[in-house]
Amino acid sequence: MTAPTRSLLVADARTKARNRAEARFRAYGLAAILLSVTLLGILLVSILSNGLSAFRQTEIAIPVTLDAALVDKGGKGDPASLRATSATAYGKLIAKALKDELARRSIPTGGLSDKDIAALISEQAGADLRNRVLGDPRLVGQTVTVDGLATGRIDGYFKGRVTLESAEKDSKIKPEQLHLADAMRDAGMMALRFNSGFLTNPDASEKRPEAAGLGVAIVGSLYMMIVVLGLSLPIGVAAAVYLEEFAPKNRFTDLIEVNIANLAAVPSIVFGILGLAAFINFAGLPRSAPLVGGLVLTLMTLPRIIIPARAALKAVPPSIRDAALGIGASRMQSVFHHVLPLAAPGILTGMIIGLAQALGETAPLLLIGMVAFVRDMPGLPPGGFLDPATALPVQVYNWTQRADPAFTERASGAIIVLLAFLLIMNAAAILLRRRFERRW
Amino acid sequence: MKDHLERRMTTTDLNRMTARNVQVYYGQNHALKDVDVDILDKTVTAFIGPSGCGKSTFLRCLNRMNDTIQGASVEGQILLEGEDIYDRRVDPVQLRAKVGMVFQKPNPFPKSVYDNVAYGPRIHGLARSKAELDQIVESSLRRAALWNEVKDRLTAPGTGLSGGQQQRLCIARAVATNPEVLLMDEPCSALDPIATAQVEELIDELRANFSVVIVTHSMQQAARVSQKTAFFHLGHLVEYGDTTQIFTKPRDPRTEAYITGRIG
Amino acid sequence: MSISLFLLLLLALAAAAYVAGRARAEMVAGGDIRRLHSLPRQHGLNLAIAFALPALVGYAAWRMAGAGGGLWSTLLILALGAASALAVWLALKPETRARNEVEAATKLFLIACSVIAVATTIGIFLSLIFETIAFFQKYPAAKFLFGTKWAPDFRGGSDLGVIPLLWGTLYVSAIALAVAVPVGLFAAIYMSEYASPRVRALAKPAIELLAGIPTIVYGLFALITVGPMLRDWIAQPLGFGTSGASVATAGLVMGVMIIPFVSSLSDDIINAVPQSLRDGSLGLGATPSETIRQVVLPAALPGIVGAVLLAASRAIGETMIVVLGAGAAAKLSLNPFEAMTTMTVKIVSQLTGDTDFAAPETLVAFALGLTLFLITLALNILALVIVRKYREQYE
Repeated sequence: MTAPTRSLLVADARTKARNRAEARFRAYGLAAILLSVTLLGILLVSILSNGLSAFRQTEIAIPVTLDAALVDKGGKGDPASLRATSATAYGKLIAKALKDELARRSIPTGGLSDKDIAALISEQAGADLRNRVLGDPRLVGQTVTVDGLATGRIDGYFKGRVTLESAEKDSKIKPEQLHLADAMRDAGMMALRFNSGFLTNPDASEKRPEAAGLGVAIVGSLYMMIVVLGLSLPIGVAAAVYLEEFAPKNRFTDLIEVNIANLAAVPSIVFGILGLAAFINFAGLPRSAPLVGGLVLTLMTLPRIIIPARAALKAVPPSIRDAALGIGASRMQSVFHHVLPLAAPGILTGMIIGLAQALGETAPLLLIGMVAFVRDMPGLPPGGFLDPATALPVQVYNWTQRADPAFTERASGAIIVLLAFLLIMNAAAILLRRRFERRW
Repeated sequence: MKDHLERRMTTTDLNRMTARNVQVYYGQNHALKDVDVDILDKTVTAFIGPSGCGKSTFLRCLNRMNDTIQGASVEGQILLEGEDIYDRRVDPVQLRAKVGMVFQKPNPFPKSVYDNVAYGPRIHGLARSKAELDQIVESSLRRAALWNEVKDRLTAPGTGLSGGQQQRLCIARAVATNPEVLLMDEPCSALDPIATAQVEELIDELRANFSVVIVTHSMQQAARVSQKTAFFHLGHLVEYGDTTQIFTKPRDPRTEAYITGRIG
Repeated sequence: MSISLFLLLLLALAAAAYVAGRARAEMVAGGDIRRLHSLPRQHGLNLAIAFALPALVGYAAWRMAGAGGGLWSTLLILALGAASALAVWLALKPETRARNEVEAATKLFLIACSVIAVATTIGIFLSLIFETIAFFQKYPAAKFLFGTKWAPDFRGGSDLGVIPLLWGTLYVSAIALAVAVPVGLFAAIYMSEYASPRVRALAKPAIELLAGIPTIVYGLFALITVGPMLRDWIAQPLGFGTSGASVATAGLVMGVMIIPFVSSLSDDIINAVPQSLRDGSLGLGATPSETIRQVVLPAALPGIVGAVLLAASRAIGETMIVVLGAGAAAKLSLNPFEAMTTMTVKIVSQLTGDTDFAAPETLVAFALGLTLFLITLALNILALVIVRKYREQYE
């Protein structure tokens, strides 16, 4: 009954083949991980390379004389009469100033018409100058330096998106205009600067991508997060405490548990339909309001908060509860005085991660009208919760639907802002976990 | 108990495994110190000692199961048939086919009884045909004294058997690769007394073909089934010798203290 | 009176009730609070709740009935609360069990919060079912369920067959799963069975990072990177089509999105397989990969099936990636490089912009939503049941 003794020191053919299969299998696993990490890298590089340029914007510096006869036709110098002058009039003023400045610096315009020269400057420049004057009427009559936005095509030229070849085929820009832009850059009139307006300006129309910013979207997202935090933290914790600490084991509790697990997996767009039907059509709340967005996101986020909160409560050992009950505390007291504080770091970590998910959610917000074109900043809370606004991820979607390629850059830039917020939130969650997590 | 031990003294003197100067470390922790043991052919060797004394650790060195634990390292020499099992050329996969193992808790795979037993022969390529595999499965189950109980339900899941049957299934599974040494890590600790008696009887029968090493908490069990006994204490091999001698005339005071129940 | 003003007033009066309750408790204790059953602040809380609860319920009921908001009615409601608080105040004795009352109210609040989950599900169901019924009154259900043409026209005479949308949804999801399941599973296997603690500490967060990225980011990635790449490198040279948006684009990107989902679920499930089974196999001389393929994976199979079902549900309900990556044309085609569309895309397109809630072209979105909800609900429940059974097996 003794098997033919083979030496252990020599691997037989079968063992060698098995070890090769082992190495292959292991390599598949490693390849899967490397593939995932590489894809993550490609994704980030793609977004960064497309979007970083959104944080810089081409500006044209022109001295403009604010002739009182032109900007203050009423001649009273009060805001009411200043308001009568339209942004277009300011635009003409800037266009003329640009022409004069080019002549003064004797920069050759290459036979471009006045209209083509004026087209280097964004239509937004006139509106910006008007706002500046309205804010400070004493400027009337003075000569100010206007840092006007260049149009999207010129901006694209300096960022490499527009080339001389592409301009040949483009009805919106001529190669001569690009040559002029080069000359102006060399003369120091035109340069790429940090684009602070990208973070503060509201959205802009199809024709002026250079002026579009994330201001309203950031405020809208912030308002929604306040609503989500204010509602889902107390409700989520209360539900988790009840289910983990008080709920009897019966069919009703079981139903709630299955419900929560299922809700966590319901497609987010379904919550959008719920929001549209329940909050807008039934309750009559306004469309595009951060309050409605916040309510929808709260319902969506709740199960994703309750589940980790329950896990955190479960991790607190029963001995802690027994200790509190043993000295005569009620169950409610043992939970609120001892168990909940111990579970708080875990609950907060789950809360932050839930908020981060809510911040990035897009689909349900599309259905409750957050895609609208909103130029005005929402007011201060609580009234501002009902003013129309957009949200960061929705703004991204919005910009992808525009024809001008300059908006693609903006969309990627908006993603960078969104990811930066998410990174901060997740880092906070990780820090919290590292700092306070205890193993029993 | 003495008669019982005398009756069983039928040891051959052929060395299957030799361990010399074995040290085991778990990270910084020096878990086993200077262990020298011989595992004889066709003999049941029992490792006894209080919990945490290192007896299971040493058992797991004999088929390099410690390799699967992070941070464990083994020094010294362990020979199987004169070959160092910790030699760099040795593939633990081949080694474990020769030194089989049965664990504390019955751990049948969630497969049929047949597939459980056929698992080892299949991965090691021991059968050339289905008929041969059937034959190996049957003989292994017979050796594990399980054949009569399961021959009609070979396709039923192994996890559906009773605890004692599961452990005998695991023994059949280990026997099926035809190992030279069979390691058993407290094989009866999860079983009731009747199942324990069946497994103990089985161990005695297995001695006819294999050399068996059994780790046990129970001194009575060691006395009932083994011919050689090694007593471990705090990472040291305190005493190794004939079971009769260990239980009747222990040389070391610590051994005596343990078998009389003063430490443990 | 506006809601916020009412709430402010309520809060102020409740605070007053708290102070009154405390004072009264201390008074009846006669300076020795050991004579009280409950602490003075518990009496205070009890009184505050006795005031606020009826007032809140009354106000909510009043509002629901469509009335309210007037100054007098609000004052009436506040008076109701005050009456209730006064009754408690008068009845306050040393042996009054204020703590138990407060705890009962707290528990009621906890239960109400848990029930919100059920209410949400009911709300979803109701909001879908009513509009779907309205849709089926204007458009035959059979034509919706079995129609193979999707051509909405707001002037009337639309074809609103769900089949092409369902096909697009399933096609994209299938590609996504074909990418995510093998990669995610192998990543999970490597992570739980092979990786050293250091590799695990690096790779696990990296993969989880993929899960934390919002879907709009993947959508944009599909739109500006993957779509053009597939079109220029594969579809056009091989003559499969000229569209950047395609089933393949959306499917691949969605697959990347689901990888971490599959891998983290599978990781949990593989870790739940008892170590004793691995030991048993390794102890017989099996290699780690033989152990994984022949013992661990078969043991973990139900759990992994559950994970794949959850991933499928996720893929079917995904919106932004398909909105930006798959296209808008409803088509029944096998060519993966052609633009097709899904149910979620059409829900978005029918419900954004100017919508007329009487037109079947708008209402169809609710029928699509109901279809989507029921499909994902079935998958989720099936998966949850399977995973739960699996976990119980090893607990």
